Amino acid sequence: MHIHKSKKKQDKKNKKVKDIINIALAGNANVGKSVIFNQLTGLSQTIGNWPGKTVEKMEGHLNSLGYRFNIVDLPGIYSLSTYSLEEIISREYIVSEEVDVIINVIDATNLERNLFFTFQLLELKVPMILAINQMDILRKRNLKLNFERLEEIFKLPVIPVVAVHGTGVYQLLEEAIELVVYHQPTSNYIQDGKKIHEQLSYNDKKVNNNLSTKEPFHFPDLSSILKYGKEVETRIYELIRNIDIHSEYFSTFNYPSRFLAIKILENDEEIEKIFKADQKTTYIINLAENYRKELEELHGEDISTIISSEIYTNIHKIIEKVVIIKARGEKKLVWAEKLDHLTTHSFWGYIILILILIGIYFFTFLIGGFFGGLIEDFFEVLSNIIYSIYGEDDLWVKIFWEGGLGGFFGGLSGVLVYVIPFFLIIEFLQDSGYLPRAAYLMDRFMHSLGVHGKTIIPMILGFGCNVPACTGCRIMETEREKKISIALTSLIPCSAVMAVVLGLVGRYVGITWVLILFAINFIVIIITGKILNKILPGQCTELIMEVHQYRIPNYSVILKQTWIRTKEFIYKALPIIIITGFLLEIFFIFRLLDPINFILSPITVYWLGLPAITGIFLIYGILRKELTLVLLALLANSMGTTLLGLLTPLQMIIFSLVSMLYIPCFATIVLIAKETNWKYALQIAGLEIGIALLIGGIINWVFFFI
Amino acid sequence: MEPLIKRLIDCLIGEKLKVLRVNSGYHAKRRLANLGILPGVQIIKKKAAPFRGPVEIIVKGTSLVIGRGIAARIIVLRENSK
Repeated sequence: MHIHKSKKKQDKKNKKVKDIINIALAGNANVGKSVIFNQLTGLSQTIGNWPGKTVEKMEGHLNSLGYRFNIVDLPGIYSLSTYSLEEIISREYIVSEEVDVIINVIDATNLERNLFFTFQLLELKVPMILAINQMDILRKRNLKLNFERLEEIFKLPVIPVVAVHGTGVYQLLEEAIELVVYHQPTSNYIQDGKKIHEQLSYNDKKVNNNLSTKEPFHFPDLSSILKYGKEVETRIYELIRNIDIHSEYFSTFNYPSRFLAIKILENDEEIEKIFKADQKTTYIINLAENYRKELEELHGEDISTIISSEIYTNIHKIIEKVVIIKARGEKKLVWAEKLDHLTTHSFWGYIILILILIGIYFFTFLIGGFFGGLIEDFFEVLSNIIYSIYGEDDLWVKIFWEGGLGGFFGGLSGVLVYVIPFFLIIEFLQDSGYLPRAAYLMDRFMHSLGVHGKTIIPMILGFGCNVPACTGCRIMETEREKKISIALTSLIPCSAVMAVVLGLVGRYVGITWVLILFAINFIVIIITGKILNKILPGQCTELIMEVHQYRIPNYSVILKQTWIRTKEFIYKALPIIIITGFLLEIFFIFRLLDPINFILSPITVYWLGLPAITGIFLIYGILRKELTLVLLALLANSMGTTLLGLLTPLQMIIFSLVSMLYIPCFATIVLIAKETNWKYALQIAGLEIGIALLIGGIINWVFFFI
Repeated sequence: MEPLIKRLIDCLIGEKLKVLRVNSGYHAKRRLANLGILPGVQIIKKKAAPFRGPVEIIVKGTSLVIGRGIAARIIVLRENSK
């Protein structure tokens, strides 16, 4: 079915000629890919998911030079193996008909590792442009690159870029046209003078377009740089020969036969599935296995080491030819080094981490609270006007106004205002390069919870708001780690929970109990992690992570990313929040929820020792956790008393604790379901209700007997 | 006398080392190989996190953090004493 679909797409594309150029941006993490993506696509970006996968798909488009460019920013990866879902998705996408040309973004200051990925891309034989970024930094290090030589070697356009200044970025588009429309792997250095598309008028282009579609792009013969040592190469040749016997079958998968041969030799699980799917080709797996054993014996290393070494040897030869050292010695960024030392220090590192967490709280809370207050005031003014026109008892006004719009404003003032400042600070931390340092510091501790240090990144995000934080768990490499991370993150007390705890216990009971409650929360997180670590099959993987030098964040990237993520939140979460607000209001008006107080009273009144009315507040709290406190305060107001008249200090503590732990908020549950599945989302919700009731009840009964 | 061949976790901060072997599992080994941690490659141990945490090394000009479990399986040779 998949094959059929892609053929259809191909037809459509041919008919439309080449007015649309589909570009895939590929490269290692942190090479400036997203900066180039931002420069090109501006605010046209959308975040989606890869079909059926939980990996983010960043898409954008622009119209330029008479063409429409659709650009997909692939995840930052280091290889095209099967280490993470991102790698598998990337390679499947690149060879699909949806990509006309790859722009491989390469960090000039880290050529060796970046070219390793380039070499893997070259094996896919998809038209490619090499964009060498950070040329300014390279110059500062007194190094130079010979671009003429680079283009001679790769036989593909190699463009110097300084992404942060936009230098060279639009040249990438010109080269894309040259490659896709005119099939000319050329650039300034190979062809003198003007490019073809500049020499032709618009009408000529159309004519030429039709001609050009008949003549497929010939990927240059790069065997001289790609070939491995003799022992490996002869075996790959044999495998290719066998693959080509079944070329009709393999052609449906779009991978070049050499790529298939290398990967089957490397024991790649996903590629093996292709060979297994057809009985006629399964024998090649055995053949590859024999070759692998022979090679491993010959070299005394395992196959991934052998092949990686071969590739790095080839890269080394190229680097020797193209890197020109102007003067020895490089200038280091002193402040970045010092900051790195401080933030990973065995004492100060943790202090800074705690300060940053507190900082996230305050930033999210103060800014969110301020704007939330403004929106609520505005809503109240509007409410008064509406009620003065229609009267307070009109049922429809109540349903639509309190329910529908109330939900909308609630979503704005209760969630969105916190989400925006939160995204801002997170993008800042992300762009500056801090987050991997937190993962470094916390790796050891996180291992005891069954995940490696990277989980601390979504967990830090969770302190602001659980909703986007659970989305952030996508960075985990395996399904198992993602599940544990999501469970742990959903238990992190977010800024709304903080509001309840501080507003109730902090204000009326004292700071000691606030700290005790937070301690309980963290103990619950640890225990949950330990339990999940035991239950879920599989093992904890080890951390392997690149740490980049600190840099001054790029404000335009931060602002754009914040806007795009907010947009995603508005589209995905806000409608659900509004609809639920609507329904709850209907329930409320028709007193459909009153029986719930009664049903819940054995739990709330007897087990937790709370007033019966709190049952309904806790139900509302699922929507927005701070509602539990807001509703309590409203009730106290209407009874002409304060919270102290309503709850005893012990009840306050229990009520806060239950609010803190009992369930992730509704938006979080929805997102967990989207990231994993509904079963897991409900399991987490159930587990957390259980934990909250257990601990709340224990506190109640312990104090009862004392 | 200090042994020349050690596990990465046993090395001192700032030591220049040459990778001899990676004894980790298949997946981790492939990942490390892709990132350039191969036999014969020179690395520098940059730091080690407290409480028996991960190790940070410099390989091919970039910093890489490696979990302690894997770092214990990377066997290295002290370069400066060769």
